[in-house]
Amino acid sequence: MTKTILVVDDEPDIRQSVKTILEVNGYKVVTAVDGDDCLEKVREYKPDLILLDIMMPGTPVDDIVKQIRDIKIAFMSVVRISDARKRGLCTQENIVDFFQKPFNVTDLIDRVELILNE
Amino acid sequence: MDVEKLNIKNLIFSKINRKLTLLFVIVGLVAPALAIYYFYTISISSVPEALYAKQAPLLRTVAIMIIILIAVNAGIIGFFVSRSISKPIKKLYNATHEVEKGNYNVRMDIKTHDEIEELAQAFNRTTAALGRLEEERKEIDSAKTEFLSITSHELRSPMTPMKAQLQMLEEEYFGKLKKKQKDSLGIIVRNADRLDNIIVDFLDISRIEAARLKFNFQQTDITQTVKDITKFMEAFAKEKNIELIVNADKLPIIEVDPDRLSQVLRNLINNAIKFSYENSKVEIAAELKKEYIIFSVRDYGCGLSPENQIRIFEPFYQVESATRRRHGGTGLGLAICRGIVESQNGKIWVESKPGRGCKFYFTVPLEPVRKIKPIKILFSHKGAIERKIREEFQSILGPLGVGEFNELKSKNALGRDDIFGYIDSLTEQYIIPPERGLDFKNRIERIYGFEKDIINEKEDIHHDNFGDEVIKRG
Repeated sequence: MTKTILVVDDEPDIRQSVKTILEVNGYKVVTAVDGDDCLEKVREYKPDLILLDIMMPGTPVDDIVKQIRDIKIAFMSVVRISDARKRGLCTQENIVDFFQKPFNVTDLIDRVELILNE
Repeated sequence: MDVEKLNIKNLIFSKINRKLTLLFVIVGLVAPALAIYYFYTISISSVPEALYAKQAPLLRTVAIMIIILIAVNAGIIGFFVSRSISKPIKKLYNATHEVEKGNYNVRMDIKTHDEIEELAQAFNRTTAALGRLEEERKEIDSAKTEFLSITSHELRSPMTPMKAQLQMLEEEYFGKLKKKQKDSLGIIVRNADRLDNIIVDFLDISRIEAARLKFNFQQTDITQTVKDITKFMEAFAKEKNIELIVNADKLPIIEVDPDRLSQVLRNLINNAIKFSYENSKVEIAAELKKEYIIFSVRDYGCGLSPENQIRIFEPFYQVESATRRRHGGTGLGLAICRGIVESQNGKIWVESKPGRGCKFYFTVPLEPVRKIKPIKILFSHKGAIERKIREEFQSILGPLGVGEFNELKSKNALGRDDIFGYIDSLTEQYIIPPERGLDFKNRIERIYGFEKDIINEKEDIHHDNFGDEVIKRG
């Protein structure tokens, strides 16, 4: 069965790029432009994984994440974040990975596959 | 503040005090002497001879007594008057000293209702103006760091979609590529990566300068860490068939940030491999000293000239553009290493002789430094050296020195060897005596850091790989 991935980023070019990468590799992709949009799309599409930009305008990502408990989340961030900070961020069980932007396409696909097959 | 603290002895014997008091004493002697002379020659001559002769000794005694008394009085008055002048001047002098030390909050409170008070007020206004300038300088400095940090972030965000799309093209997501297309894409990808590396380095520099560099301290087995890093670098070494030799046994477990340590060590090993000849070796060592661990990376490459040895830690300084083209890199690696090491109160330096390779050293304290200080990386080192050279020019050549310095600077001839040549020309033309020329040279040497490092003086750390003339710097 085709897995659905929700890509949340305020930058259209990043949404577009990630969407293409994932679609070419056989996933169904939905996009959202900010945190609130993300919550709406979660209700509507019930994705298997959310790729969530850690810094977006609007409702803080921390608050959004608290409202999603049953779907796997992977963060994306352009700011380099230390391992310690990563551990601090991954407090919720459904937060499964952390992607550093700019990411490597092959690496992204490999890790997404790994997450969804767990 | 010690402006108020006045040394009594200094006060009494101060030059201005002495001069003024002497003046009063002379006036005190001359004035009554003149008065008495007038009394004798003009007034007494009208008095009958007999009476005068009878009273003469008494008169003389009285006259001398009067002269002495007036002189003493004049001296005492003179002392106090001159003190009232010299005291505020001494105060001003001390206040100027404070300003020299960089304390721009000194204000003079002198109420003498004369020129000295006016001078004090002018002094206060000048210090206030200096204070404002200093404040402005600090603001500009932090704005520079802030600007660097913001622009680096802004520059980095477009890299994400750019690199993603490029990689997709390269991985043939959108169809097969012809060889020429692939080659072209390869060039774009390589340069995008290079640009991204520069941005990442800029971010690091902005963090170091703003004291926002994060250190994540944890108990770390140094021996293991050094071995891991070396293993990681082995892939690069193999390309040039370079052997990596590690000597890092019996090191304690200390609290450091292993990521930062590996960032510095990786950078040095990477450089060593880059500048080594094929089929040679790179030696990596770590040794426990009293209060720190000293790490070293030794290569047998082309080595560095004395001037390059100090300038190599400047941002964007690469020995020559030809090597940059050959070796790649952003030119910021060593500057960042210096920032990281100095943030932890460590030292980083290089020993080298041209043609005989380099040995880079850095130290890491056994106790981590938790309070991170800001370290100047951009536009700092070179400026400080130039300033010092300028001062020496001024002190040796006097007012002419500044002009000469500026002329050398405009010719971009402030390197050690350039200046030495210039000093030689001065002594040859007998503009300055040879001993003075030698002194001049020594001072320039000191600025360029040819003195032994403090660390080196305490403990002998160099293993004499370069023969007798080992040159060291921090």
